[in-house]
Amino acid sequence: MVTTPLLLYFFSPVLLGLVGVLAEKAKAPRLRDGAAVAVGLWGVQTIWALAKTGPLQGETLVISLLGKPPLGACLEVDLMGLYFAGTAVVLCLLATLYSLAYMGHEDRLTEFYTLVSCLTVGMVGVSLAGDFYTLFIFWELMGLSSYSLVGFRKSLAGPIEASFKYMVMGSVGSVVLFFGMAFLYGMAGTLNFAHLSTVLRDAPLNPWMMVVFATLLVGMGVKAAIVPMHTWLPDAHPEAPSPISAILSGIVIETGLYALIRVLYLVYEPAFFKAPIALLAAATMTLGNILALRQDDVKRMLAYSSIAQVGYMLIGVSTGLAYGLLGTLLHVFNHSFMKGAAFLAVGSIDHQAGTRDLKKLRGVGRRMPLTTLAIIVSFLGLAGVPGTSGFISKFTLFSSAIGAGMGYLALLGVLNSSLSVAYYARVIMTLLSGEPGKDVQVGEASPIMVLVTLAMALVIIWLGLFPGGLTALANEATKPLFEGLTQYIGAVLG
Amino acid sequence: MALLSIGLYCVSKPNMIRILLGVEMVLNSANLAFIYFSSMRASAGYVDPLGQSIVFLSIVTGGCVMALGLALIVNAYKHYKTTDARELRRLRW
Repeated sequence: MVTTPLLLYFFSPVLLGLVGVLAEKAKAPRLRDGAAVAVGLWGVQTIWALAKTGPLQGETLVISLLGKPPLGACLEVDLMGLYFAGTAVVLCLLATLYSLAYMGHEDRLTEFYTLVSCLTVGMVGVSLAGDFYTLFIFWELMGLSSYSLVGFRKSLAGPIEASFKYMVMGSVGSVVLFFGMAFLYGMAGTLNFAHLSTVLRDAPLNPWMMVVFATLLVGMGVKAAIVPMHTWLPDAHPEAPSPISAILSGIVIETGLYALIRVLYLVYEPAFFKAPIALLAAATMTLGNILALRQDDVKRMLAYSSIAQVGYMLIGVSTGLAYGLLGTLLHVFNHSFMKGAAFLAVGSIDHQAGTRDLKKLRGVGRRMPLTTLAIIVSFLGLAGVPGTSGFISKFTLFSSAIGAGMGYLALLGVLNSSLSVAYYARVIMTLLSGEPGKDVQVGEASPIMVLVTLAMALVIIWLGLFPGGLTALANEATKPLFEGLTQYIGAVLG
Repeated sequence: MALLSIGLYCVSKPNMIRILLGVEMVLNSANLAFIYFSSMRASAGYVDPLGQSIVFLSIVTGGCVMALGLALIVNAYKHYKTTDARELRRLRW
């Protein structure tokens, strides 16, 4: 069976927790750290092995759990799901490596690594889910572990407050999503994606479908931080420990977006959701960029910039074209690396200098040249400067908007990108200019933190210069939603 | 529907525990909607098991959310000495 390793992987948090507790009893914290990294590698290996068994050639695997699909739960593995799952496991592995140094002085580390592993499993599950039943379990797993990770430093007031806010908004979002599921179930009598698609996609639009659309948009939009539902994000991301901010911003919000894309394309015709999504895209990127301009806290600024980036990704969704979705997928992968590198590098500075306030960081970059190099590369990437991977994906997104006859969206996107350069450049300038004050004593961060951030910066430049391989992969990954839709449905029904 | 509106009303209140109970009420109204739809699809005397099983599941996850939420409220109370959500305004802009 090719599928057993994946199902075993879903139990990795339990294993990691056990090993961690035993290692603590035996006073061998290195063992626990090793186990955390091993579980990260296990995830990467599982996804890679799964991809090789068929989805890379465009096949769709169905893994049924507890009975046949119409009633039983199932996982449906195709290249698009694997693309997101792969991004998630790679980023989580990098963040775990980084945490070895960053979180070294904290206690309760067993809980920390176990929760990170729960979060990873949750994201992999959401990406590969074949019905709402499975999606909802993993959705809650992802949500619960991210709420508790945001509030991990419970001795401080800020993280607890941010976590409470995130939890209330996130759980209201899940409940609204659950309501939408109830309506879908009432209309179609099933929760399986493929069945829903056959029953509802060609049916004439009725008011209930509009209600379901609204609930899906709210329920998944809360996790994806689409603008009216974004208010938790600028609190939660800066207050979380830096590796967690990198995971949250790099892939958790994109997983919300993935679920939205998957369900919308399966249940509705693209023509139906084009206009509302385009409106949300415009609002999201504009508001995110404008609010980011006035932040002094670097991590908070990056959090607002995440909102803006989600806006760019929504452009691709709103076009309803395979090319636009290609842009979205490219941007998801590139953004996970760029924002991951940015958050991790800023985390290194926070770790060394003890502050994230831009006014106090003047000249700190000269003391930490390698970390600052990573920051510069990732910020240029986020701004979309040619030569970095951010340029490739933004170019694809904006040109797809023009191709879909939505030139105003492309124009707005370009204007927003130029706006965003203002605050990225401000950080770079502050870090490099002048001499640090007498009271700021900083040195380069520990080697493993530097190594992780530099490796990510290298990937950003590499993908900016040679985007061919990733583009081809992402292009294949968009197929399940367009030409492959019948195959996706047939894999379950056939 | 009545539960839904009561729950949404509760979420808008300042007390943190009441917010949490509101979330739970909205969840339960969604559960009831599932039960209702599954009984609509009854055939040969049996209700549709899918709706029932997903309600079980959501009760469990709802319990997890409640537990985490109460833990957060305890921690917030330690810091702020109140359960009034309006006092939690250290993070603004």
